[in-house]
Amino acid sequence: MTETELPEDDRALAGEYVLGLMSMDEAAAFKARLTREPRLAALVLSWQEDFAGLADEVEAVPPPAKVWRGIDRRLFAGARGPRWMLAGIPGILAAALAVMLVFFPVVTGVQPPANPVYHIDLAGDDGTLIFAAGFDGETNELFVRPESGAPDAGTVRELWLIAGDNAPVSMGVLPDAAPARLPVSQDIAAQLDGAVLAISVEPPGGSPTGAPTGPVIATGAVETL
Amino acid sequence: MATRDEIDTWIARCALGDRAAFQNLYDHTSAKLFGVTLRVLKDRSEAEDALQEIYVKVWKGAKRYATGGASPMTWLITIARNHAIDRLRARKSTEGDDALAFMPDKGPGPEAQAVAASEAQRVEACFDTLEPDRANAVRRAYLDGDSYADLARHFDVPLNTMRTWLRRSLIKLRECLEG
Repeated sequence: MTETELPEDDRALAGEYVLGLMSMDEAAAFKARLTREPRLAALVLSWQEDFAGLADEVEAVPPPAKVWRGIDRRLFAGARGPRWMLAGIPGILAAALAVMLVFFPVVTGVQPPANPVYHIDLAGDDGTLIFAAGFDGETNELFVRPESGAPDAGTVRELWLIAGDNAPVSMGVLPDAAPARLPVSQDIAAQLDGAVLAISVEPPGGSPTGAPTGPVIATGAVETL
Repeated sequence: MATRDEIDTWIARCALGDRAAFQNLYDHTSAKLFGVTLRVLKDRSEAEDALQEIYVKVWKGAKRYATGGASPMTWLITIARNHAIDRLRARKSTEGDDALAFMPDKGPGPEAQAVAASEAQRVEACFDTLEPDRANAVRRAYLDGDSYADLARHFDVPLNTMRTWLRRSLIKLRECLEG
């Protein structure tokens, strides 16, 4: 073999395939062979296993927390129901659409914030989305939208702010069915970043004690947008 | 680092829809996969987006992972690397580079059960049998997602020479790894 002669060898081809060095045509031809040549498929798998050992050289870098939040939202928020009015639309499209909604708002009912500062998905233990909420920093209001379920007869659902180790602070009684905007005091607004919101079941008019008295049916972390 | 058995179990439980297992899997493997992704993409923000998509693929693909087969880290690293390289290629194709094949979409499947698990040390030892430049070329292709054109530029040799070198290196590596 001369210095420039290109060796034709399945071991090398399988390696090139795994490395991603083939052109589209070469890869397509190789893939066609893979389905009918188990020996070739075994070579591909050996290369994958061996090359993965090279990743030992790569330094592990902890990703920022927002990556997990994004995964959690993409995989599990969809199953909980629509977020705002953007049901089933993947995140990037939703963001684009959210911009459009600023310019073409739906003209009836209570409006979600055009530029929410925070978003909260309040979900039950089984992941069912009970309420979606967004904080409007321009009006200091929390837009809340019921997503599923309704309060049992003779009860209401009350929203609580849990900031760090502090005791829960009431943010008001939630609407039964329609979206609403709850006024938020400056004091509470200042505590939203990094806090958790929770919904408890309370007697009509809300908790008589100033602390949750009934079962907590949903929680959600405040996400900065 | 979690043990192979732990990661194995978490992936198997993901296939059953166990979110706590998925969170454990993420907590114990995301730093490595982020490192791999960053190495290919060399852009933090893009690597963060890619990592999200990678774990979405992991969750959805967990059913196809066979316990007791290929190393679970191989399965995860293959998904991460291939996705990152697809993004790199997509970025390059909009920049006018020649179209390269997209990565095979599957990591090692059940067939891999027949394949003996390899150890990173053995792989490194075999890389050490190559001339440093040639070992480095294979590394760059795997870890950085370099194409033949990238490699030829980097090592300042004609494309065909690069290809000949690399194929020979692969044959030599395979012989060492099988030996």
